[in-house]
Amino acid sequence: MLSRVSTGGLLLASLLLSACSDEPAATPAPSYDEARARLVINHYADLALAAYSDALSEARELRGQIDALLAQPNEQTLAAARQAWRDARVPYMQTEVFRFGNAVVDEWEGQVNAWPLDEGLIDYVDDNYQAVMGNPGARANIIASQSLKIGEQQLDLSELNADLLASLNELGGSEVNVATGYHAIEFLLWGQDLNGTDAGAGERPATDFAIGDNATGGHNDRRRDYLTVVTDLLIRDLEAMVAEWQPGQDNYRAELAADSVENGLRKMLFGMGSLSLGELAGERMKVALAAHSPEDEHDCFSDNTHFSHFYNAKGIENVYLGEYQRVNGDTLSGPSLSDLVAASEPQLDEALKADLDASEAALQALVDSAASGVHFDQLIAPGNAEGAAIVNGAIDALVEQTTRIEKAALVLDIQALNPDTANHSF
Amino acid sequence: MQRLIVLITTLMLAACSNPRQEVTVQLANQVLLPAHQQWQSRNAALLDSTRAWCSGDQPLASLEQAFHQTQSAWSRLQPLMVGPLSEGNRSWQVQFWPDKRNMVARQTEDLLNEFADLTQLQLEGASVVVQGLTAFEYVLFDEQAALSDNRGRYCPLLTGIARHQLALSNEVLALWQQPDGMLETLTSFPNGRYANADEALGGILRVQVTGVDTLKKKLGTPMGRLNSGVPQPYQAEAWRSRHSTENLLAALEGAQAVWERVRSLVGDAKLVGDIDAAYKSVRDKLAALPAPLMNMVQDKANQPQLQSLYADLDALENLQQTDLARHLGIQIGFNANDGD
Repeated sequence: MLSRVSTGGLLLASLLLSACSDEPAATPAPSYDEARARLVINHYADLALAAYSDALSEARELRGQIDALLAQPNEQTLAAARQAWRDARVPYMQTEVFRFGNAVVDEWEGQVNAWPLDEGLIDYVDDNYQAVMGNPGARANIIASQSLKIGEQQLDLSELNADLLASLNELGGSEVNVATGYHAIEFLLWGQDLNGTDAGAGERPATDFAIGDNATGGHNDRRRDYLTVVTDLLIRDLEAMVAEWQPGQDNYRAELAADSVENGLRKMLFGMGSLSLGELAGERMKVALAAHSPEDEHDCFSDNTHFSHFYNAKGIENVYLGEYQRVNGDTLSGPSLSDLVAASEPQLDEALKADLDASEAALQALVDSAASGVHFDQLIAPGNAEGAAIVNGAIDALVEQTTRIEKAALVLDIQALNPDTANHSF
Repeated sequence: MQRLIVLITTLMLAACSNPRQEVTVQLANQVLLPAHQQWQSRNAALLDSTRAWCSGDQPLASLEQAFHQTQSAWSRLQPLMVGPLSEGNRSWQVQFWPDKRNMVARQTEDLLNEFADLTQLQLEGASVVVQGLTAFEYVLFDEQAALSDNRGRYCPLLTGIARHQLALSNEVLALWQQPDGMLETLTSFPNGRYANADEALGGILRVQVTGVDTLKKKLGTPMGRLNSGVPQPYQAEAWRSRHSTENLLAALEGAQAVWERVRSLVGDAKLVGDIDAAYKSVRDKLAALPAPLMNMVQDKANQPQLQSLYADLDALENLQQTDLARHLGIQIGFNANDGD
């Protein structure tokens, strides 16, 4: 194998040569060992399997706590259900790095983690509720309604079951009509956060799930049914995704293994970079900060956004390092992108690892702030310069890290990063 | 070893002229900087017009015209905004789109309810949503604002936004033209940002490709591509001023200005022909749209025409992002739209 310095020299020379001619540069042989790269991709699938399996087992835990809440609706059982939801997010948010790049996940995800939502579709909302312009389902209130008319369509809502809820997603064509998934459950457990950019999350009382004299909210039978059905659907969806990543079966994992090494590595890197830049730094932080808009906060009902962001970033790090700490505390580790990059450019590998550490530290600042009582929706308040600095610190670290991910991709001979377009007319 | 590489590099640089560096320098001096200057001068004109209308010296039509010209300069600039304007939240201070929840109306009215006689300082402390052209457009064109009857309420805001835009463009221009500024960064290598002209050219192409990708988004979102094909007219950019199509044309022109310079670097005649044809086709189809985009998307009969335009934009993006980048051996990298 060529030493790092001589490889670098060759690369430089070939770039300069190409600058002198109109001919496109010849494609060099891959800078990595192909058999080794296959192991990296296989281990990537192991990481996905472990993370989705953990998300599934935590969703089942959540279902158990919801049973307890519905059996005895009080502030303790509601608090336990909310904690189970928070716990369930820890592994799930670490799976999101698999979403971008793997179409099988991206197409499935809408029913599981769609956001932001016009929650008036699901249940009662405050008079000052701000929905998306022109959304016909914005105040549908499924829980309070036996039927619903959208345009020419008359929908029967009398029996709340999984298929009905799934069919109500994107009702009337609006992407903010989200009837299912983590955020629908979050809204049911917390209710609307009416505090804007001030302290406090949603304050739905446990009595919204009670039946009898002390019941609040109205239509409580249906609210209870909704919560059960929507959690069962989440479990069913997670089971399906776990099955896609099982080894030795006719599933997505088999497809990934049969595809070229280059495409496998591309998917890994595209997932890391897209989550890092466009989704986490952009959609989930910059939009909310620049517009001071708590409606654009990711976990806007529960104010758990700091942990969602932290574990998103952790997922990116997991894929690069080939590591994942399971919910039971075990650590899964194996062949990694880091190994492949280090084999030809150890300095770049070190720099990217340092970037990932820096991002983790920057996101830890969001977690620490929340622990001291200042949550994400307060950090983005108008005039909160200190809060803006914390959020901007996280955004900047993710942007920096993305640039380094691009460099790592180049070391692995991947120029076109988007798997949707990478093979176009090659 | 390091010294040897430096020696080889120097020899090789001397051995050939570097057309990529020439093109990069031309792009910086003749395309990117002038587009920023044009934007700045439109902002200056918008401030003059705003003051004139607010003091009763100009008809509203003149102010509307000045607004359209500013919007157009900004649209043309988007595929060209390498460096300062694309950093921090500067570009969002110019325009806030998409605004699905009508935040612009809500935040504008809230701000004016809180501060009856809005000062520049109060505006600077507010959200980007009320500092830019989107809020200006709301005040100018939305029936809810009824501007002609409420000059006193809205003039401090309009003047404040125009002043903010001019100050922002002055700041960005300074960052281009100062010593070690963006212009120097794109014309003299190596520097802190780019090791060589190839990297700088890659940076320019990335912004340009992102610009074309954003065009797709601005067309596809109101068409309902994110919403099971159900049209979303209020998610059209500039729906209030009914100028979405004009803006798309201006942005396409900006993107094409980059291609016009890069073309000389491409040895593959078929690729050159394909990209030229793709630009022409998108431009012709855009120019042929008979009505404002927000109206077009609401009539099913227009779907084929819009779909065909979208397909052409998609083809143009792929030709540049994949085929051109590969031909030039340049990595385009991630853009802010990945992940949506």
